[in-house]
Amino acid sequence: MNPNAQAVLADFASRLAGQIMPQLATPYLMSSAGLMAAVMGMAVEQFDGAAANLVEENRAIRGLFDEAAKLGTPADLAARLERLSRDDDDLRLSALEAANHGLRAALIELHAWTEGEPGAEALNGAIWAELSKSTERRRLSSAPF
Amino acid sequence: MTQTALTADAIAAYIATRLPAARNVRVEALSQIPGGASRQTFRFRLQYDGDAGLVDRRLILRRDPPASLIDTERHIEYAAYHAFYDVPGVPVPQMLWLENDAALLDGAFFIAEEISGFESGPMAFVNEPYLSQAAKLATRKWTILGEINRADPAMLGLTEVMAVPAPDQCWRRELDHWEKIIDEDELEPQPIIRAAIRWLRANPPRPAQKISVVHGDYRTGNFLYDAQGEIHGILDWEMCHLGDPLEDLGWGLNRIWCWGGDERRGGLVPRDQAVAIWEKASGLKANPADLHWWELFNCVKGQGIWISSAKAWMDGTNREPILAFSAWRMLNTQDRAALELMERL
Repeated sequence: MNPNAQAVLADFASRLAGQIMPQLATPYLMSSAGLMAAVMGMAVEQFDGAAANLVEENRAIRGLFDEAAKLGTPADLAARLERLSRDDDDLRLSALEAANHGLRAALIELHAWTEGEPGAEALNGAIWAELSKSTERRRLSSAPF
Repeated sequence: MTQTALTADAIAAYIATRLPAARNVRVEALSQIPGGASRQTFRFRLQYDGDAGLVDRRLILRRDPPASLIDTERHIEYAAYHAFYDVPGVPVPQMLWLENDAALLDGAFFIAEEISGFESGPMAFVNEPYLSQAAKLATRKWTILGEINRADPAMLGLTEVMAVPAPDQCWRRELDHWEKIIDEDELEPQPIIRAAIRWLRANPPRPAQKISVVHGDYRTGNFLYDAQGEIHGILDWEMCHLGDPLEDLGWGLNRIWCWGGDERRGGLVPRDQAVAIWEKASGLKANPADLHWWELFNCVKGQGIWISSAKAWMDGTNREPILAFSAWRMLNTQDRAALELMERL
């Protein structure tokens, strides 16, 4: 797809904010245009790495599930983690996101289990470490923090 | 979902019913203004012939949208503004009329005076002429919050319109409320904020030292200020309720409002300095463990707001760009703020 999506979005966002927004008649329309340009800018920033980040994150969470399997999680949780263990073979963003949502939902359950389970301290720490990394993957340059 | 466009004639006709002695009521320069994520906000000029001659006022109309970032009762917001109008040290605009009949202007609304000519944008502090006034603005900002939290809700008449929680139930009521919103609106699992909720339930704070008026959204961006470091209006009371005063302090200290990209809370001063100003003004104490609980709670509350904005945009009930912008920009930032408070970042 050329011109590539990032270049097109970046240019349109720039024109929207720099050329079109100042020509608008009311503060409300100007603000709306500015917000649209900012959202497009965020899309530009996330676009290229989106699939790679999801593959990396899904793989990391499955790695945590592998560790959990060694600890004797409750049978229903273990079965759920097992069902989610298959690698991503559909690399469309929508498919990767759907897989990610399933994995993160199960991760919540596993995380809660580790909090009350003697012997699961290391896994608990590994989950926290992965959650911290997940925010780095999603971090925007314009974020206030 | 769209609403009927507001017209100057419709507003003038409404105001004429509220001012039966006024003649030749007219509305001019009607314009929607930014910042109406929770309610659509319009500015206009009202003119009419009164007994003493021409009356000319600049007014604000806030109308309920189909869905908003924050679903609240407008009469609560109106009552809060109204209550503080006569409180020295807490500048708010004068409320004029509250209208709950949604049929009149395609949405319930209220009308208030406009406090015009001042800055409200949170990013303006990054540059002069506001940057050099940051310390003075911080003193004013957290002193005014102290005045709000110090006030007696019963004396203000607010216990008649707002629920009064027991001091030991403030935390539970708020946490239940925002967890329910996240349960109902989340479009994707939230492992960080769910872990925060578990910790909050396992480690509740002490009972509130008093039942205070809680503004509910007291932060940089929700007040009007000038280049001399003075604050002229506290706005956006739509989440106002009665509860633990530390809730308000914790919201204002939230890392997501560090607009300068550094440690200065609200883009103004470091955390401890803000707390000291608030303690002096309120006469209350910010116990470190309790304040930590409320700061982490406010990450849950913030996430509830960003999650709801994403949901409202996605299901089409409100397609204001601010909702998509807020969700994209703040969801991850809020997670990072929670991680930092849990010492996991």
